[in-house]
Amino acid sequence: MQGIVIPITMVPGNSTIHRMNPLPKLLWTLGILALSFSTRNIAVLGVAFLIGLLLVFYSGITKAYVRVAMILFPISLTLITLQSIAPAFPRPWTAIVGFGPFTIYQEGIYSGISLLLRIMAMTTWAMVTIMTSHPSDIFTSLKKIGMPYVLNFIFVMTLQLIPILQSEFGIVLNAQKSRAMKGSGFGAILPSMVPVFVGAIERVQQLSISLESRAFGSSGQKTSFRQVRMAFSDYVALFLGFLVPGAATYWVIVDKSLDWSHSMVFSPAFAITLVLGATIGFLIFVFFAIRAALSA
Amino acid sequence: MSDKKPIIEFKGVTFWYGGANDKPAIKNINLTIHEGEYVALLGLNGAGKTTLQLCINGVIPNSIMGEFEGEVIVYGNDTYDTPVREMAKFVGMVFDNPEFQLSQMSVAEEIALGMESLGFSYDEMTKTITEVLEIVGLRGLEDRSPFGLSGGQQQRLSIASALAMRPKILVMDEPTSNVDPIGKEEIFAVAEQLNREKNMTVIMAEHEVEVMAAYADIVVVMHEGEILLNGTPEEVFSNVDLIHKLGLRMPQVTEYAHRLNQLNLASIKKPYPVTLDSAVERFKDIL
Ligand SMILES: Nc1ncnc2c1ncn2[C@@H]1O[C@H](COP(=O)(O)OP(=O)(O)OP(=O)(O)O)[C@@H](O)[C@H]1O
Ligand SMILES: [Mg+2]
Repeated sequence: MQGIVIPITMVPGNSTIHRMNPLPKLLWTLGILALSFSTRNIAVLGVAFLIGLLLVFYSGITKAYVRVAMILFPISLTLITLQSIAPAFPRPWTAIVGFGPFTIYQEGIYSGISLLLRIMAMTTWAMVTIMTSHPSDIFTSLKKIGMPYVLNFIFVMTLQLIPILQSEFGIVLNAQKSRAMKGSGFGAILPSMVPVFVGAIERVQQLSISLESRAFGSSGQKTSFRQVRMAFSDYVALFLGFLVPGAATYWVIVDKSLDWSHSMVFSPAFAITLVLGATIGFLIFVFFAIRAALSA
Repeated sequence: MSDKKPIIEFKGVTFWYGGANDKPAIKNINLTIHEGEYVALLGLNGAGKTTLQLCINGVIPNSIMGEFEGEVIVYGNDTYDTPVREMAKFVGMVFDNPEFQLSQMSVAEEIALGMESLGFSYDEMTKTITEVLEIVGLRGLEDRSPFGLSGGQQQRLSIASALAMRPKILVMDEPTSNVDPIGKEEIFAVAEQLNREKNMTVIMAEHEVEVMAAYADIVVVMHEGEILLNGTPEEVFSNVDLIHKLGLRMPQVTEYAHRLNQLNLASIKKPYPVTLDSAVERFKDIL
């Protein structure tokens, strides 16, 4: 099981992006999120994705990013396969080519590519933010702009609980193996879940007692141990984070000429190659994922 | 000890956890603890030590379900209607399962958690973190994840987190169960030092009889939820027969004195010596 789990956490480094305050990073990510949801234009989404990739290289988190993308990308490829035969697009659809019992549609290919780019653009930007910011700093800066302390704590705790549960899961699996129960494959996973979750509840109860005993939730003035500073450059980045994605979002909403869903025409050969490629890419991923799960 | 101020008073306290167990975990506990006392709680597994300790900061009856009778008064506060987080201002708790107490990303943040809630300034926090890590011997681990520490280190961290809040009362539940022998010595010494120098009241549940006999002012022996003995180590360990009957261990020198009497090799008067030094002093004349 451990083999499949990819931690998405901070990658230590000292790039300009690492040294930025988390708030402008979060704002930019939110901005790109808004932009991505406001358009299907392949060029706009592609550029957002590309800039995200440049930031990945620039901040030196490429290895960690690729490890996550290797899972995310093949799964997202199914969007192309599914969309091509059943577009999430208002009818009428224009058929490009018949494919056994299926028909591949012009709108489907367009929608598949734009959904894929949308997901990749958003996740790439989000990963840049997460992988270049210390989690505590993210929470501390959110606390500063008014996120409730308790909510903040829940996030930190959840982040902690995931690896613990993972390791407990491994312990339970091994215990079951040593009692000659099926210790690998999917058959073993379900019975292992029960003790892990019972353990998690117990852990949460114990923790809440421990927290209360350390004055958690007191009524008085609270202070913060982690200090996150806003430098001048952070204010500039924050300002640009409002301006640039905001303006871009406004533009893609207003400018009707950005709807390329019919002006961009795909040839039958291109459509078949793309759909087959996407499907095969996904199947290869599934094959390796199952093999990893069974051998863990 | 009569000149000292009583700060913890148990008055007829009985607690049932409920569920299938129809016997109370502690029954009719009457106990007074004075400021600056070092109290050792002894008893077999299930005797009720942890339960009694959880009553001191009001986790019982406020946060643990069950049926509660009687009254616990700590520094004038009735624990029944004082929130646990208020009690935290003067009672520090070190629980017996440290790995379940952790929640933060780094050792420093783990220690800061309680201080943040009490509104310590940033400077105070950094200073205190260094101080308490020094005390428990974890200096240099500030930035490590608490979850990546060994069991003994987690136990030390849990002590540091409690100390950081500057409690008047330190309640420790088998704080050295995961710690190596040298570490045990250190932790007992720390507790003793805080007790002596800062007049901190220490209430320690422990199975290490020898050490408790040496450090504690008061030994409380529990059995099946009741307090059977309560007094100075000398007074308590002089009840050799009862302690044997309960299946508890005694300091070896006390056992030795008792055997000498039994075999008519000497007649050592009660109270028996409980530490090596006092035994040497007493046996000097006989041997
Ligand atoms: N959460 C609980 N729910 C139900 N019963 C409990 C619970 N905790 C303890 N008990 C019961 O209460 C009694 C006293 O337990 P307690 O934990 O106080 O003993 P202890 O002296 O601390 O033992 P140990 O030396 O093992 O730590 C035992 O009979 C125990 O089974
Ligand atoms: Mg106990």
